[in-house]
Amino acid sequence: MIATVFPLVGRRLLSSVAILLIVSMLLFVVLHVLPVDPAAMSLPPTATLADIEAMRREMGLDQPLPNQYMIWLAKVIQGDFGASIHFRRGVLGLVADTLPATVELAVLAMMIASALGIVGGLVLFHVRGSRKEPVVDFGSIMLLSIPEFLWSLFFILIFGVALHWLPFTGRLDPDLRVPAGTGFLLFDALMAGRLDIFFSAARHMILPSFALGIAFSPTIMRVLRSSLIDVYQEDYIHLARLRGLSERRILLGHALKNAILPTLSLMGVQFGFLFGGTLLVEVIYSYPGLGNLMVDAVRNADLPIIQAVGLAYCAVVLIINTVVDSLYMVLNPKLRLR
Amino acid sequence: MMRILPPWLRSARVLGGLTIVVIISLCAVFAPLLAPHDPNEQDLIATFLPPVWAKGGQAAYLLGTDSLGRDVLSRLIYGARVAMMVAVLASFGAMMIGGTLAYIAGYFGGRIDSLIGRAVDVWMSFPPVIMSLILMVGLGVGLRNVILAIILVDWTRFCRVLRSEVLVVARKDYVAAARLVGFSHWRTVTREIVPATLPLLITLVSLEMGIAVIVEAILSFVGMSVSSNTPAWGQMIADARQYIYDSPWNLLFPILAIFFAVFGFNLLGDGLRRTLDVRLTATQRV
Repeated sequence: MIATVFPLVGRRLLSSVAILLIVSMLLFVVLHVLPVDPAAMSLPPTATLADIEAMRREMGLDQPLPNQYMIWLAKVIQGDFGASIHFRRGVLGLVADTLPATVELAVLAMMIASALGIVGGLVLFHVRGSRKEPVVDFGSIMLLSIPEFLWSLFFILIFGVALHWLPFTGRLDPDLRVPAGTGFLLFDALMAGRLDIFFSAARHMILPSFALGIAFSPTIMRVLRSSLIDVYQEDYIHLARLRGLSERRILLGHALKNAILPTLSLMGVQFGFLFGGTLLVEVIYSYPGLGNLMVDAVRNADLPIIQAVGLAYCAVVLIINTVVDSLYMVLNPKLRLR
Repeated sequence: MMRILPPWLRSARVLGGLTIVVIISLCAVFAPLLAPHDPNEQDLIATFLPPVWAKGGQAAYLLGTDSLGRDVLSRLIYGARVAMMVAVLASFGAMMIGGTLAYIAGYFGGRIDSLIGRAVDVWMSFPPVIMSLILMVGLGVGLRNVILAIILVDWTRFCRVLRSEVLVVARKDYVAAARLVGFSHWRTVTREIVPATLPLLITLVSLEMGIAVIVEAILSFVGMSVSSNTPAWGQMIADARQYIYDSPWNLLFPILAIFFAVFGFNLLGDGLRRTLDVRLTATQRV
């Protein structure tokens, strides 16, 4: 099985690298038609025109665009993403500090979205054809119409401001210090044996991860429902009925296993959107991740950061998609036969 | 009463969605007539007033006032202008680019199809919010650039879905017959293929309008859309978020406005998908 799937996965991986390269090129072009001058911005206001000119030459800005790109790419491959103009720090360090927070949030949100999506999909499927269907279906369209940033604000209003149940700024209570480690706070806190930090971090993540998770669950629900409806047309379902299996056993033991595959491949695409959705949620909850770094950089026209963060988002999305596609190939028996 | 309506209008979803969209459109068009106040008129003595039904509310300000004493209801009504303008222009722009490429890819197939497919793959690897932010950095702030950014990000939604549909239709016998009769490529696509895919196209436009409203709200929330003297829902949210303890109401109303608009477009899109799709059975359609 591994032998047949391996070349497929390899090809998928190769195309991901190619896509990342094209994305980096596009990113470079978009950000270099800007009216702002990064050389002038990275110098103090007292700099003379000659200083700026020297800086431009040092940054390679006097070269034609394709050359500039090659210079940048060569540095990036060596792990040098340049320095932030605004923070006066290496970009790689900034991204490495914030990426784990965002990934942690996104993974938690995806778990919530999947759980809600699968349960909701089963409910939607269960009520099909009954009088409850229009109501439940109407509800799912309503859910579909609330994007993550509206959920975020809504949760703040209810659980933060009105009920005072949960915190809604930052990643930890102010009197606690982030333990050193991987940057994945929940993991680091457990490793350090600090349950107080673990629970504080978890409480801070409840609202943002639920806001994201709920926003992305309706699509999963609807796809699961329609693929369950498709699966129920198959002969083996009728056969299972003839064999006298209970409806519950047919649904959970036979139909769900087959219906989950198209849902899984959709989840890969959804995770890409969800990972982008963290940006707004982070801004609203002042959550110190990639999204806040990005918005700060955009406000300050901090090109090296925008470039690196944009690339980081794409890289994560491509990695997720590759993993999901590979999983799909491994799990799908039809692909194994080829 | 239902009999005289064309079949596609007989669905509750389509009617409901259309009603919401028409209400918002009317607000947008007749904003100066409907709004009780100038949306930028400040009343610094009457800041953070709650809505009229809450304690301390005033009849002059039905939904209360914001941090500068501006009338929230008037700002919501004027905000519909920005939302509808972006919804209409951005979705049609995205449809034009995405649709054209989808017809080319699906009809001609082969190398041009795989080229367009690759372009879609590249675009899809970018989370839409991130891509529109980066484009706004490149294009500069302002409503026109917001519309342009949405078009440049979202054409793939049309291209991806429509292409597979065109692929199916283009292999139909009647399309081959049209070619045999001597129709040019152009005429075959516009007379035979476009009409067959029109239901899908209309549905996608409706859904895209909802997405455009959300993206505009996001961009004006982070301060990259309209200038501060043009009322927009996302901006109202950003404003109200700073004074969340003083007046939670101010945050609630623009949230509801965005939800209402997006819900209208989604309901309409979902209803149209069911009623216009000839392949769905009668029971599935209801």
